[in-house]
Amino acid sequence: MKVLVTGGSSLLGRTVANLLVARGDDVVCFQRSASGSTAIDDRGDIRDRSAVLHAARNADAVIHLAALVAPKASWNEMLAINVDGTRNALAAATASGRFVHISSPSVAFHDAPSVGSTALAADYDGGDGYTRSKAMAESFVRKETTVPTVMIRPHLVWGPGDTQLIGRIVDRARSGRLALPDGGRALVDTTYVDDAATAIVAALNHCNAGDEATLAPLVVTGGEPRPLRDLVASILEAAGVTRSPRSIPAPIAARIGSALDRVWPGSEPPLTHFAARQLSVAHWFDQRETRRILGWEPSVGLDEGFNRLKAAFASSGDSGQS
Amino acid sequence: MKIETPSVADWERWGIDPHWHRTVRIERTGLADVEWSILDTGEGLRGTIVCVHGNPTWGYLWKDFLETLSPEWRVIAVDQTGMGWSQRSMRRTLEERVAELVAFCEQHTSGPLVLAAHDWGGPVALGAVSSLDVRAVILGNTGVGLPENTKVPPLISTARRFVDLLCRRTSVFVAGTAAMTKKQFREALRAPYRKADRRAAVADFVADIPLSEKDESWLALKKSADNLSNLQVPLLLVWGGRDPVFHDRFLADLLRRAPHGDVHRFPEAAHLVPLDEPMAAVAAVWLDDVLGPDPSSLGRDNSKHVSADHRSFVAITEALGSRSRDKTAAFTDRSGSVSWESLAIEAQDIARMLVGAGLEVGDRVAMLVPPGAELLAAAYGVWLAGGALVVADSGLGARGLRTVLRGANPQWVFGTAKTLAAARTLGWTPGARMICTSRFPRALSLTTHRSTSQSQLPRLAPELEAAIVHTSGSTGPAKPVRYSHGALAAQRDVIHESFAMSNEHGFVTSFAPFILLGPALGVPCVLPEIDVTKPSELDFDRFAKVLASSQVDVAWLSPASARRIVATAEGRKAKLRLVMLAGAPISTELATAIAEVTDADIRSPWGMTEAMPLTDGVGATQQIGDGTNTGKILNGAQAVVVSLDDSNPEPVPVGEWGELAVHASWMFEGYEQEWSTEHRSEVLLNGVRFHRTGDLGRFAANGDLHQLGRLQHALFLATQVVPCALVEDPIGKSLGRQVAVVGIGPKGTQAIAVVIQAEGKLRLADPETTALVRAGSAFAIAAVLEGELPVDIRHQSKVKRELLAASASAFLAGR
Repeated sequence: MKVLVTGGSSLLGRTVANLLVARGDDVVCFQRSASGSTAIDDRGDIRDRSAVLHAARNADAVIHLAALVAPKASWNEMLAINVDGTRNALAAATASGRFVHISSPSVAFHDAPSVGSTALAADYDGGDGYTRSKAMAESFVRKETTVPTVMIRPHLVWGPGDTQLIGRIVDRARSGRLALPDGGRALVDTTYVDDAATAIVAALNHCNAGDEATLAPLVVTGGEPRPLRDLVASILEAAGVTRSPRSIPAPIAARIGSALDRVWPGSEPPLTHFAARQLSVAHWFDQRETRRILGWEPSVGLDEGFNRLKAAFASSGDSGQS
Repeated sequence: MKIETPSVADWERWGIDPHWHRTVRIERTGLADVEWSILDTGEGLRGTIVCVHGNPTWGYLWKDFLETLSPEWRVIAVDQTGMGWSQRSMRRTLEERVAELVAFCEQHTSGPLVLAAHDWGGPVALGAVSSLDVRAVILGNTGVGLPENTKVPPLISTARRFVDLLCRRTSVFVAGTAAMTKKQFREALRAPYRKADRRAAVADFVADIPLSEKDESWLALKKSADNLSNLQVPLLLVWGGRDPVFHDRFLADLLRRAPHGDVHRFPEAAHLVPLDEPMAAVAAVWLDDVLGPDPSSLGRDNSKHVSADHRSFVAITEALGSRSRDKTAAFTDRSGSVSWESLAIEAQDIARMLVGAGLEVGDRVAMLVPPGAELLAAAYGVWLAGGALVVADSGLGARGLRTVLRGANPQWVFGTAKTLAAARTLGWTPGARMICTSRFPRALSLTTHRSTSQSQLPRLAPELEAAIVHTSGSTGPAKPVRYSHGALAAQRDVIHESFAMSNEHGFVTSFAPFILLGPALGVPCVLPEIDVTKPSELDFDRFAKVLASSQVDVAWLSPASARRIVATAEGRKAKLRLVMLAGAPISTELATAIAEVTDADIRSPWGMTEAMPLTDGVGATQQIGDGTNTGKILNGAQAVVVSLDDSNPEPVPVGEWGELAVHASWMFEGYEQEWSTEHRSEVLLNGVRFHRTGDLGRFAANGDLHQLGRLQHALFLATQVVPCALVEDPIGKSLGRQVAVVGIGPKGTQAIAVVIQAEGKLRLADPETTALVRAGSAFAIAAVLEGELPVDIRHQSKVKRELLAASASAFLAGR
């Protein structure tokens, strides 16, 4: 199969591309910089529709991972990349015949704990630009798609070389700036990158007209929720960081987040209100339907994932920032 | 007058499929034709259920029926004339409402018909049954007239006095009724009655309630009552125990007229039981059961658990009678001893006085008497007189006591001045005759109709009801459990045989209700000096004192008492022949420790309120990997391990775990007024009716029964169901600490939280312990917590897992 992967330079995009290449697919990665994957790169900007269409000209399917994840980028930029970019990817997929759209469980976040819930409606319309734009993207894909489409919401993807989650946690812990709401008691599920990637490949396999997978978005996680404190401790242990995070009462974290949302000058405040709320409440999901529908199960999981993370830190001799 | 109807958006907001709503014409009733608004699910496979609301509700009341029972049944919830969204018209009498319901059913339904009704819909539906081919009747809280010795409920008398003001001009009556249910139902309930002109029928309905022969609808109501008395088809009563209008005496009155009715009572529910409780779900299972033939159901079998062999029936009162010349102690507590002779005489006297005072065979007598000689005399007196004991202990708390007593509905109450005052003030036993045991025998003589000496005591039969006891409530709401004399006699025999109780020595117990066994066994018993609700007050000194001052060689202890005795023994010994531990699963460590202190044979038999004991309890001190070893099944009892498949549980191979189902001649008859609970707990295996205990366990290769905790406390993971003991016991053993595991999140996708007993509030355990627990367990442990494990009042041993699960869930959900 010929597959176009957008956002191939992200940890997850690269892993998906490599997996597809390994199974014999013809894979093109579309993004601004080099993907670092084993696939062919076709570099360009997701906002450039003709470039996206061109990259997808021979494809049988489009897997759309390209997105802007900066916590405080301009709303216009968020709209352009996450919403219009998705419009472009969908246009390319409409020509090729299949669309796998990567979203996020946070599109359904309403400040309440998620305790073993399934994929709820993507109706987030709060202040977090990323989440709001992803919710908008998901909604219009659902409305406008004319080809078989599977929507996957992987939750907190991490792995060796991850700059988003792991990189930030390790950096902040090293400099003593890491504080967990209420001591990190909230039960949180995450997804090891290889497991998220196999789920996306499974989604591609199920991206056929009439398949159950095309009916509703599917949350993908490792299915091993743990208190945030324990997850962070395992990450820091893998990175060789001995400093423990501090604890901060959840309501105070939320208030600090709100304040920083207003006054922080740069694009990456140390905490946003949205992040504070998300880290204060449980986030784990019922995976039974996802696993049944995709015929997929995670094969790496937390403990092996942490081992691999540790090995990666040891071999790089660095903070894991690639 | 035609009225507007709700919009599609209204229906959707109220959770009603807008397609269900339509308007039909009722003709040829002898009155003007009228248009009814109905909710109709259309096309049912098995027939039609027509649901009749009361006043001032409307078809919305049956929301749950419409959803749950369709499409198997066609469910139609009607709005009566002038009510809900139906046409407003001249006022209607009960007779006219009956005629309209009959006409509706004839003109708009076909095939098998079931009527469901609530409140004043009850008399309407019952009025109609004699004119229709009805297959079954389902009633919520309702009535067909005032029960004997009952006053008009104040809510009704007030509403009638100020009927126009309260029911029509203002919405007091409508709002007051809606306020009895959950907030989310109130808007819809009130919607058709927003303006005064829309409420005319509400007022007319109240005004039409006949309270005396002079009232217009008196005869029509009497006809409804007669129809109930003559009802030939199955009847289900689903009842809210906290209805201020149709209270429990109305239920008793309905059952007096239709004794064949099945009852499922929700003790905590108020008036609007179809909305507040899963009445529809109960009705669905009940309809399958009574109307069959549904291959998955067991069908009807009224034989229940009656034991096969009662030829050698010897009543539980016999042993006491046979020692009536014995001057040795039958019972001893802090206030001294009472001899067999005086206990026997006193019980006889009480029995004769009760019969003289009008107690009839089968009457229920609630015992609000603290454990002691007085309780024993009263209890055996009641039994000799043919009465049934309602045993309720103060460990339940005021609310629990009310629930249990209201559920049992006793005709008599024995109590102290204090407990009777409480019963009276808190309305525990409406209508019952109260007798103060501290004023025996005067309390009875005063009410004696005949000379006591002439009163003949009845002959007790094995089928006769002997007692209503109740489950502890530590593993769910307390359930009233019915026992027959046959079962109690069989229980006495199995205890005698299996544990070789001696007539001279007897036993000491920290379970107060167990003293009732003493006179039945013909064995002396001793109650130590402790508060009966605090078994952990039994320390070594008090225990040793009992042993020194009596000849007991058996102790029947709760785990809390055993723990306290062990903890305070300080190397001393208190020798006994046999120690029985019961009430909660016992750890091997505790069994071993109490064995060292007592040098006794330690038994921890498996049993429950519904059947006790079931195993010999041998092997309590023996280490097994997980679970509690309860020994071999007793002679005469059968236990089968069945799969968790709710609709079709089947035996599993030896060695595998499952739910334990039992059959024994000494097990209970059924749950009082809990049809659904009882039905769910029964399973037919090889033609024998077994009780599904809700306990999980397995048989070891040597025949020992290993208990693994309760089904409701099992972990419902995504891939499997796991008894908590399988996770908990290995962790507890490796840490050397008490731990409890609970499932977090929805059943079927739960995460496992381990809670280690420690003082203080719930918190995350330290990282080292957490890592140790995770590494040592065969299961994926989501979180390891520390904190105080909540335990039950009665046994002070059973971890309150529902409570723990709720607090652990809240903690891990964050905020």
